[in-house]
Amino acid sequence: MAAAPSMAAAIAASLPAPSAAPTPAAPTHEAIPASMAKVIDLEADIPIACIQLDGMVVSKIIKHAREAQGPSAHGILLGLDLDGTLEVSNSFPLPHHGSDDDDKSAKGIARYQASMLRSLKEVRADDSIVGFYQAMSLGSFYNQNLVETQAIQQDKLRHGGVVLVHDISRTARGNAAFRAFRLTRAFLDAYKRNNFSTDSLISHRLTFSSILEEIPIKIRTNPLLGAFLENLTAPSSASSSDPSPAAGQESVALPPSFSVLDIGTSSVTKNLEQVIEAMDAYKTEEGNIAYNQRQIAREKAKADGYIAKRKEENAARVAQGLAPLPEEDVSRLFKIPPEPSRLESMLLLGRIDAYSKTLEETSSTGLVKMYAARGTTSV
Amino acid sequence: MPLALPSSAVHVQNAASGFLSTPGRAPTSVTVHPVALFSILDHYLRRTDAQERVIGTLLGTRTDTGEIEVRSSFAVLHSETAEQVAVDMEYHHAMYELHHKVNSKEVIVGWYSTGSNLNTYSALIQNFYSQETAPHQAIHLQLNTGTEEGQAAGVKAYVSSPVGVSPKPENCVFLPIPCKLQFKEAERSGLDLLLSTAKGNTDDFPATDLDILDRALATVSDMLDRVLAYVRSVLSGEVKGDAAVGRYLMNTFGASTEELEKGAFNTSLQDTLMVSYLANLVRSQAEVSSRLALTRAQ
Repeated sequence: MAAAPSMAAAIAASLPAPSAAPTPAAPTHEAIPASMAKVIDLEADIPIACIQLDGMVVSKIIKHAREAQGPSAHGILLGLDLDGTLEVSNSFPLPHHGSDDDDKSAKGIARYQASMLRSLKEVRADDSIVGFYQAMSLGSFYNQNLVETQAIQQDKLRHGGVVLVHDISRTARGNAAFRAFRLTRAFLDAYKRNNFSTDSLISHRLTFSSILEEIPIKIRTNPLLGAFLENLTAPSSASSSDPSPAAGQESVALPPSFSVLDIGTSSVTKNLEQVIEAMDAYKTEEGNIAYNQRQIAREKAKADGYIAKRKEENAARVAQGLAPLPEEDVSRLFKIPPEPSRLESMLLLGRIDAYSKTLEETSSTGLVKMYAARGTTSV
Repeated sequence: MPLALPSSAVHVQNAASGFLSTPGRAPTSVTVHPVALFSILDHYLRRTDAQERVIGTLLGTRTDTGEIEVRSSFAVLHSETAEQVAVDMEYHHAMYELHHKVNSKEVIVGWYSTGSNLNTYSALIQNFYSQETAPHQAIHLQLNTGTEEGQAAGVKAYVSSPVGVSPKPENCVFLPIPCKLQFKEAERSGLDLLLSTAKGNTDDFPATDLDILDRALATVSDMLDRVLAYVRSVLSGEVKGDAAVGRYLMNTFGASTEELEKGAFNTSLQDTLMVSYLANLVRSQAEVSSRLALTRAQ
């Protein structure tokens, strides 16, 4: 019996020539049954339409994100894809690395990752990397690091890998927030050329909302986990016949929670601060770009002036019957700086947008909660 | 939050730490984080046909008062035959190293197994883990998956003490200690999400904040209805009123709302509307700005 992780590999190894019909009767794990022939793709031709997240992964990520305190929590997703659904069945956190001695820590992480994968394979867990996850707070996950990691992964992983972002602040407010993304084609193209100038942005039609495209997520709990959870929420003693409202709830392992009804607005202050911070950063970045552009314009004007002058001179010389001076290479005389990359400012705009979107959502639910509170007090 | 059916077992305080000459307090209670449970269940699902039960290592923290918090777990390879039991110690150590790199606060606190069978092999494995956790005592967590006929799912925790005139590793008494499920409030919503998917409604993900709020308000409304029905039945004399319940209700509904009535509501309303307006403004500005970046001065 093949373990789940090696199934794809086993299938890949045993796949006969494309024309050969799959063995129909008594399919062992080495042959592809006819019903499966359509959904198995070795070349990753079937695009991912949906991500299926296992319950264990959900809780693992939430725990890691909460303990790591902040957006530094990130890790690897393991699983496999089948007929357009990427099944994420396991995950493990990556150690947090400081910004210093990057090279050394990168090697350490690679070693850590390899031995973790080997170990997981030994206990028959899935061991193929399908993407990574990242914790965020207040809805903002656009940063250069994430985009770059994702772009690097693009070539290494089947389907280019996905990134799963988990919003800590929203989860604390009672809504476990997971979203999955992958880079869009247009962005990848621009990234590969390493060109984020205005022209490139225009030709790729890139704005912050078209860097990443979202993939829908489904949560799956395996039946065993479902049964176990059911057991935890069921009242353990048969006291349900008791009509008094206080009884019956006491002995449940998992009583209902109402953290979502918390009317406190402490997160709004933080959120507003984040918006302002992001806007300041954007302003600075805009300033840099404007400065660069002025520099370019100045150098260009100088070069143009030089050419015009040379042309005039030549025209004069020709009029006097002299041989014209050679047209020199202007680019060697004047260093025109390259056009500034607009990637950072684009990502900053994305961050501002995400923060204010969270702000908007918080205030809209806040309104509902306020009216609900007033409704109960006025009775 | 108890994890298993209440049992008649007495939780013996094994305060006599002289048994194993352990410094510090012996474990008095165990709290388990859901992640550890879910990992165990996943491991159980991935077992081979030959394996009757699976075992693994529990990681967590200890407090001075003898409480043990199990925060995560990982699977360990082992084999049991009629003659012998073998645990892959090398694997256990390698895996612990890896986990330690990410979360240095979590240390080995014990081991888990599935099923509800405590036998000689359990004692031997317990002996092995006691060496790992020395000088502290190792705990043993037993998770019954409830897949066998007539057994309810649940979790039990044990500590061991040697028995017999001359202590041998294969002889020990497993003393039950209380075991609870515990997690931070912030992680609660994740469990709620899993619960709702376990009950079959997979369509409403990702839910918006408003959806969730809606559900919570509906639950509150239901609870109010129940309370109302109860109070009415007491008033009409059908049911004899419970003084404790009455006190609770009094405390809950007698909360002061003076401040809200004194115009705090309107101020707060204005603030919230302002924030909402501001957020919308910022968003549209950001959108315009990103579009403007796509134009060229001609």
